[in-house]
Amino acid sequence: MAPILSYSDEIKGTVYANDVNGKQPLPGVNIYWEGTTRGTASASDGTFSMWQNNGQHMLVFRFVGYKTQVIHVHETSNIEVLMEPNLEIEEVTIIKKDRGTYLSVINPIQTESISGAELHKAACCNLAESFETNPSVDMSFSDAVTGAKQIKLLGLEGTYSLLQVENMPNLRGLATTFGLTYIPGPWMESIQVSKGAASVLNGYDAIAGQINVELKKPDAYEKLFLNAFANADGRLEFNGNTNIRVIGDTLTTGFFVHGNQLSKINDHNSDGFLDAPLAKMINLGNRWKYNNHRGLMIQGGVYYLQEDRLGGQTGVDWNMEPALNSPYGVNIDNKRLEAFFKTGFVSPNGKNAFAWLSNFARHETESFFGLNNYSGDETRFYGSAIYTKYLGLFEEHTLNFGASLVYDNFNESLYGRDMERTEKVPGLFTEYTFKPNENLTLMTGLRIDFHNLFGTFVTPRMHFRYRFADHFTIRTSAGKGYRTANVLAENTFLLANSRPLQWSEDVMQEEAWNFGFAFIQNYTLMGRDLTLNAEFFRTDFKTQLVVDRETSADFLRLLPLDGTSYANSIQFDVRWQPIERLDMLLAYRINDIRQSVGGELKDKPLQSNFKGLINFNYTTNLKKWMFDYTIQFNGGGRIPQYPGSVDAGMVSFDPYTIMNAQITKYFRYGSIYVGAENLTDFTQVDPVRGADDPFGPNFNATNVWGPVMGRKVYIGLRFNLNYE
Amino acid sequence: MKKLLIITIVILIGGAYSPLYAQKKGNKIVCFKSDMDCSHCEQTINDYLKFEKGVKDLKVDHASNTIMVEYRQGKNTDEDLAKAIEKKGYKAEKISMEEYEKIFQQRTEHEHAKEQHRERKQN
Repeated sequence: MAPILSYSDEIKGTVYANDVNGKQPLPGVNIYWEGTTRGTASASDGTFSMWQNNGQHMLVFRFVGYKTQVIHVHETSNIEVLMEPNLEIEEVTIIKKDRGTYLSVINPIQTESISGAELHKAACCNLAESFETNPSVDMSFSDAVTGAKQIKLLGLEGTYSLLQVENMPNLRGLATTFGLTYIPGPWMESIQVSKGAASVLNGYDAIAGQINVELKKPDAYEKLFLNAFANADGRLEFNGNTNIRVIGDTLTTGFFVHGNQLSKINDHNSDGFLDAPLAKMINLGNRWKYNNHRGLMIQGGVYYLQEDRLGGQTGVDWNMEPALNSPYGVNIDNKRLEAFFKTGFVSPNGKNAFAWLSNFARHETESFFGLNNYSGDETRFYGSAIYTKYLGLFEEHTLNFGASLVYDNFNESLYGRDMERTEKVPGLFTEYTFKPNENLTLMTGLRIDFHNLFGTFVTPRMHFRYRFADHFTIRTSAGKGYRTANVLAENTFLLANSRPLQWSEDVMQEEAWNFGFAFIQNYTLMGRDLTLNAEFFRTDFKTQLVVDRETSADFLRLLPLDGTSYANSIQFDVRWQPIERLDMLLAYRINDIRQSVGGELKDKPLQSNFKGLINFNYTTNLKKWMFDYTIQFNGGGRIPQYPGSVDAGMVSFDPYTIMNAQITKYFRYGSIYVGAENLTDFTQVDPVRGADDPFGPNFNATNVWGPVMGRKVYIGLRFNLNYE
Repeated sequence: MKKLLIITIVILIGGAYSPLYAQKKGNKIVCFKSDMDCSHCEQTINDYLKFEKGVKDLKVDHASNTIMVEYRQGKNTDEDLAKAIEKKGYKAEKISMEEYEKIFQQRTEHEHAKEQHRERKQN
């Protein structure tokens, strides 16, 4: 060994990510001497410096989403380390730049990352409200009484996107209708939205895409976080979480609390119906993380949730019994217990990795809609074991394989009819990724699942990314997706209507192909990054559950597709900073979604045919103030009518515009934010049809295409304390 | 919105254009040598100092271990800013602007060379 290294010496260097523009400095990388816990992290410009003692040569570089690198240190300065993305088993790109949304160019799957910074841009009470500034995801109300919100990706209902919490499927089955409101905004760390076919490692479900939510981790620097929120309609929210370092940063635990309440009666349009249901919810969580910083990581946690909502006519009260001489009421009571356990191990040479992911949920629902009772319970388990092997001198080949199991037991009751079923789906999967250089990625996946109700089926998927010139990247994808449609559990909100539901099967399988193409251009304009994106996705359904609101005067029917069903989505977006610290996003999307209903191919009802979005975000120097403004242009669409319906004339709705704005002032230990949703106070006319006679034949609160609630002014406080 | 744009432009042209060299009238710049050893320390000092009284601009760099603060004269003092850094557990040894620039330049020249290299490679 050279004598110069025989004493303690300072070494310096820079860590880069292998991005499409070549090397990009990568901040936040954990750097430590192999076999020790002595370490540091790279700075915002990717640089690092640390002391080297005699005998220490092997330096480990570790960062979420990248392959761990172990470097033999020969020199003391100018060390350059290139981190290669490892997108196949860990979560997709999270680049810790303080950029709101980030369109990944490294990931072979078209993915937008929504960071914590973006989540500060809107009131963001929960997951459902986190997409206000996102061009790809639409948020809308399911109906005008329950307050249920749904999201759409590529113009398709949220059920066609695989919803994951930390890479494990979640919030499905009975949680479908209200699940998006079950994840409080302040609990989230980031969200990744991927469009088109997803990796087969996560299951066969993703048809339109995949939405993954990362929650706050107990080993983060945050020590204590508190948040209080109130809006002019009387909604109150409280959030808190704390992280405790039980054994340094090796064993850590986090506690989470959320409560919200709405007890004020709001009826701005004076139709005798509550604009938003009265609600109370409490949500508690505790999670643990063990990280030995030598390749082994174990995480587990438990969450419990209880919510009650009461909507309908303004005269409703919490103790009411459904009766013809009472006001029309909708009361929904949900209880949910969730647990998860996951572990990952990376071999010391970084060439092999093993991961186990599992979660469990028990959900109970009791509800009535007018005179109809619906109740259900669900017990669900998911487990998946994945083995990853990196092959080749430069790790240009990655092979993943593994096995998974889904168990889902349902008990439901509606109109006095009891239904029971159990899904058991063991499956096997494999995925191969070829990445000969930083410009090309080819990923192919295949899975085979053995369903106890629907038989054996195969899911092939393929992704290809190629950066063919400095500024140009293309991506294509193709894949099949399957989904279990829980016919009633996912559509309970349809009960807010005078026609009874009619269904042929309690459960059915949906099957579709998805094809996607994207073209991304990256330039530097006036010294700042300019990203132009153009994409096209098509989804073709082979089998589908169709909500038929229009062929029968006596029933609202839930039937298997007879004919054709497809969705085309074309989107363009531009991201740039016209002046320093002013982020601008312009986006435009055309939705062409058609479905055969009653033998006739028609535009999907209640669906806007286009969406435009402009978002500005400005922060002052040192980020003491932040200003946000978003305007959404929503296209018109079709309103479904049925034979003999009293609104026979109302066959379509016109385009409408929604505006949101927020100002945030940051302080040393927190921030205050004030904002308004739906600034122009636009609401749909008569969201509740037949409101004057809710037990009569013309009552319908399910033809909702626009906002049910008008302008909402809000204020919030955040307090945070960090570990130093 | 229009008003916001005007304000923004005024701030940009009038103020923080190049804080290293162009300091606003009535503002004072003070530089320190410190002993941060991780990027997280950099973040901690940055988040703490920016809310000290009168602070208008700030450059905390852990690699060169330097801190530069621009503040409104009369609102704060060099000594109080040093105390604030020390309160967070770090050294704050006051250095002259020239010394600061020298230390910082050494590092950024190095970065700059790499940057140019990268651009050449791309073109």
